[in-house]
Order: sequence, then structure tokens, then C-alpha cells
Amino acid sequence: MHDIADLERRGAVGVFLASEAFADAARLQGAALGFPAPYVLVPHPVQDRTDAELRAVAEEVYPSVVAAVTSSTPSAPA
Amino acid sequence: MQGPAASVRAVGGKGVLVGSRRERASGGGQGGPCRVAFVELPDGLVAVVKRDCPTCVLVEPVLRRLGAAVWCQDDPTWFDHEDTDLELSYRLGIETVPTLLRRENGAETARTVGWSRTQWEALTGVAGLGEGLPEHRPGCGSLSVDPFRIDALEARYGGSGLTSRRVELADLEDEHEALFDRGWTDGLPVVPPTPERVVRMLRGTTRDPQEVVAVVPPDLVACTVEKVAVNAVMAGCLPEHLPVVLAAVEAAAAEEFALHGLLATTYFSGPVVIVNGPVAARIGMNSGVNALGQGNRANATIGRALQLVVRNVGGGRPGEVDRATLGNPGKVTFCFAEREQDSPFAPLAADRGVSGDAVTVFAGSGVQPVVDQLSRDPESLARTFAACLRVNAHPKLPMAFDAMLVVSPEHGRVLREAGWDRARLLAELDGLLRLPAGELVRGAGGMAEGVPPGVAADELPKFRPGGLLVAHAGGDAGLFSAIVGGWVSGETGSVPVTREVRA
Amino acid sequence: MRTVLDPTGERQAPARALLPRPTSLQGRTVGLLDISKARGDVVLDRLAELLRADGAMVRRYRKPTFARVAPVDLRHEITEQCEVVIEALAD
Repeated sequence: MHDIADLERRGAVGVFLASEAFADAARLQGAALGFPAPYVLVPHPVQDRTDAELRAVAEEVYPSVVAAVTSSTPSAPA
Repeated sequence: MQGPAASVRAVGGKGVLVGSRRERASGGGQGGPCRVAFVELPDGLVAVVKRDCPTCVLVEPVLRRLGAAVWCQDDPTWFDHEDTDLELSYRLGIETVPTLLRRENGAETARTVGWSRTQWEALTGVAGLGEGLPEHRPGCGSLSVDPFRIDALEARYGGSGLTSRRVELADLEDEHEALFDRGWTDGLPVVPPTPERVVRMLRGTTRDPQEVVAVVPPDLVACTVEKVAVNAVMAGCLPEHLPVVLAAVEAAAAEEFALHGLLATTYFSGPVVIVNGPVAARIGMNSGVNALGQGNRANATIGRALQLVVRNVGGGRPGEVDRATLGNPGKVTFCFAEREQDSPFAPLAADRGVSGDAVTVFAGSGVQPVVDQLSRDPESLARTFAACLRVNAHPKLPMAFDAMLVVSPEHGRVLREAGWDRARLLAELDGLLRLPAGELVRGAGGMAEGVPPGVAADELPKFRPGGLLVAHAGGDAGLFSAIVGGWVSGETGSVPVTREVRA
Repeated sequence: MRTVLDPTGERQAPARALLPRPTSLQGRTVGLLDISKARGDVVLDRLAELLRADGAMVRRYRKPTFARVAPVDLRHEITEQCEVVIEALAD
């Protein structure tokens, strides 16, 4: 979250992925930082999954990840 | 540090607010900016005390005997009620403790401060009060008029009249980073413009916070005294600087100054503020050693406040409307006072029609040194000035760019002793800056830049009439003066503007 | 809660806003920042394949530890080289 906040400050569009266990933390920290850093949640847990399961997770969240860093309509420069 | 008298104004006569506040609390009840529901004062005797005050301690048995409802400012356990956030004290306009009030039908009918047996007996209608106490004992200062607290109290509870949007910073946001992140700074840290600081800043002027000072380019936003104060806080100004900032904003937003064009140009220039009159010394401005440099708070912050107003209120940001190719460091801040003492010239603003406290804004683009350590007569010195002024922007471009000549005291002495005033110097320079057309034509000197061929006149003046300003500033030592290059002359460019500084 | 007064003409929202997003990732350089948590790389590997298939250019980065913010040189490098960053995977 801090990384994305800073990377956006430096001009790179960002999103981070976290497991569902981090949902509250991510939301609260975004509010606390005063910056709505976009995030995409993946099902918890991660570390005990097989490679095939994790690849399936990646495929499942991929559309949300793309949506978080793109816009269907071009934004005006801030 | 204690006690400028000015910081204890506007606390009297707030009793009427008590009733209106109660209506609001009972009507809505959701609080909003009113963090605490205001207490409902009972009829009968009400007192405000602080335990730190010996007179309050002295009258404690009297208050208990009277059965008064007592609010204590510093010790929540002393009496039944506490006023540690000082809201009640502020709203009642308590200046001294103890203060004893009598209230009937929800309104105050009598008040006395300190301890006086006769006055307390008269107010309460009870005889024989305070047996063993002296007849009279003065009270102590109320915490609600403490100079260190009054601004916060006014911002929180007072009718401070502030209407700017209140922005709550998130818990983990560093307050300085937060202001950068919102695009509100010039690249240097700013002082966070809290309501308390803005209230304090506004004490620097008698003008109403909602009075419109100017319509600020490029977005043409009506800028109030309050918005100038917010940006002055951010720039680091003191309240006494505010009137000068207000005048500078007014001057820079004048139509003939052409601020929008000045911002949008690819040229170097930005507003330079020159201050005249007794106000300069009174607020600690520098007109002497290093007058155009760093290190003086008033000079640095007044110029910066103007630039922050242009950025934040007007919307003039570099890379957006501001298209300067290179810019110049003075676009952060460029403000100085004219050295009126031992000047050969009348004050710049006075010569421009405004005597006394005034600011003049000039579209300036940086400092070019003028060295002449040998001239002992004004004719020779004027030739040095002319030679250096000729190269302003380009030696072959006449009447194209304005300039300001800042004459230092040692150069000024040569002029003063010869009796040369500003008009005389300008007349001499005008004569010396008639440039032979042949030298200016495109291609002459092997330089493509220049005037188109076919100019009818034999000579062309370097400066348009009024295109050269002359001021006096600097330290006692140094046979140097300075040229502050300007922007394009005339209708497409900027005309210097002078405005009175009002309290 | 700290409060400051808005110094602007109040024509824009006072909150810190996200950067404008590109309309698509086609032809964009996308950085994948691995926070160094176990198994996160498997997800990132698959995301990289999907991004490449969609026409994005992918660069991979790894910060030394998930417990701290990325070093400034790494953040600088990423923003020099990438228009978009995807950071993963907090578990």
C-alpha cells in the first residue's frame, strides 16, 4: 500500500494484490493514508496451494487487475 | 511571550450565542463541526473558576455555601462541572476568574469578576458572605483568553467566519506530505493552514475575511481575504505581513499587469514585489544587505504567498498554464523593500502616484549584475548602466523588453551628491540608449536576431516610455547595482502596477 | 484528526486522487513487483503470461522484504521504466 502510494506519486499507475485476509487492513490503511490505493483480493490462503491452483487464482483475478489500472474512458490530466 | 493585548479581542458579549447554540443542538443533534453539545446553563448562580487561581481557591467555601453551579477550567474534579475545553468560558466571554453570574429565565442578568464582598452580596442578595475573607481580592486571567489558546478557541467555537472547505487529513498521512500530495505547494514544504493559524493570520488585517481582494488569473477565481490568509499561512507569513500580501495580490491581479499572459509565456518572468513606506521597516523587511537574496522572513514569505495564491487560487501551475521554458528562481519568491533612507530617489511608489505604504509589482525575470567600481561622477556611472541595460534580453532588440534597475547605496551616493533624481537618471539613460538602427538590423554583427530591415528611423530607443523602472536597495558596501530583466513591453506584455497597502 | 483549510479556488476535490489510467495495457510497460512472500511468484508468473498475451511489455522486480517499503532506488527504477505497476502478493 505504501509502495503503491509512493509509486503513484512518482507517476506510475499502480494496484496491489492481497489475500482476502488483508481486506480490512487494506481498506483501513487506504483511509489512513488518505490515498485510495486500488487493490484486488485473492482467496485466502495462498502459501499452501498447488502451482495449478495459484495459476487459476491469477486467471480469476486478472480482469480485476486490468480494470484497476485502466479506464474505459480516457481521463483528463489532473 | 505573554500578552500582546491584540490577541485577546473578540471574546466579550458572547452570551447570546448560548441560546442559539442550544436550539441547534436540540434540533439536529448530529454534531457536525460542533463536537460537544453545548451545556445548558441553569437559572440561578453560575460561576467559572480555575484551581490554579488563588482567588478562586479563596472563594471556594463561598461558592459551596451559595450552591452555585460551578465550572472549573483546569481541574475536572474540583466542582461538579468542568470546562477544560474552555467552550463555556469562550462563549460566555469570561476574561477573569472567578466570574460569578446570575441567570434568570435562561438569560444572564448580572455578572461580577474577582472577589468583592459587597459586589457578591449585591449580586446574590445574600448578606454576610465570606466570613474571614478580605473585603476584596482581584481575580486571575481566564484560560480562555490565554494568548496561546485564543486562536484555537476562536477557530473552534467562534464565529470566525471561515468558509474555506475543511480538509481532514487521514491518520497516517504525514501532514507535510499530504499538502504536497494535494498539489498545494511550490515544491518546498508549507506551513499546514489549520483553522487556528488562519484565524491568527486574519488578525493582521481589519478587512472582512469574505471581502473579495481580486479576481485571480488564470482561472479568474474571486479571491477572498480568507483565501489570501490561508496561502499566507502556508508561505510562512506572520499576521503583520498580510496587508502587504493583500496589496500584492490586488496589484498582480490588475488587468494591466496581465498576470495570465505572464504565467502562460515561455519567457522567464514572474511577479517581483517592491515594497515602499514605513510598513516595510515595521514588519521587518530587508532593503539593505542582501536585499534581493535569502534570509529575511518578510521578504521571502510575502513574495511566496503571492505565488501560492496564483498557484492555488488562480490555478497557475508550472507545466499546465505556466509554460516557462526555463523560469527563474524568483518565481518561488521575489520581494524586497526599497531602501528609502539615503536614497537619491523619491520612493518608487510615490513617484508612481501612491505615497506612503505601497507595493509595486513588476514582471521580472532574474538578476543581472552591474559592476562599476571606478565611476565617481554620474555621467560615467549612467554610461555603465546604459551599457549593461543595452543587453537586456538581446543587445539588438529595442523597445521589446522592460527592465528594472536596482541602484545600490554606493552607486546611489554618486547620483545623490550630484543631485540626480530618478527623472534625471531616466532622462540621461534614455539619451544613452538610443541605438543606431544599423547595428540592430537582422544579420548585423553576424547575428540573425534583430529588427527587420527598412526601419525608417536612424535610432531606436532600447526601452519604451515607462519601460524602465529604477529603485534603490542594498547594503552599504559594494559598487554594484542590479538589473532585473523584465518581460515584453507594451500591450502584449505587462505594465507595472502600484497599490496602497491598507491595514 | 488534523484539519487544514483548502487553499484553492475549490474547483477540484480536496482528496489525493489516483493518477489517470491508460485506456488499455496494449503496448504499455507493466512492472510486476514481487514483495518476496512465499508462493507469490507463481501468481506473478501467470499474470506475466496473461499480460504479454494482451500486448503489454512486462518487467519483473522484487523488493528485499515484504516487511518494509521498497528501497527508493527500486521505486525510482520502476517509475523510470514502467507506466503501470502491479504489486503482489500480500498473504
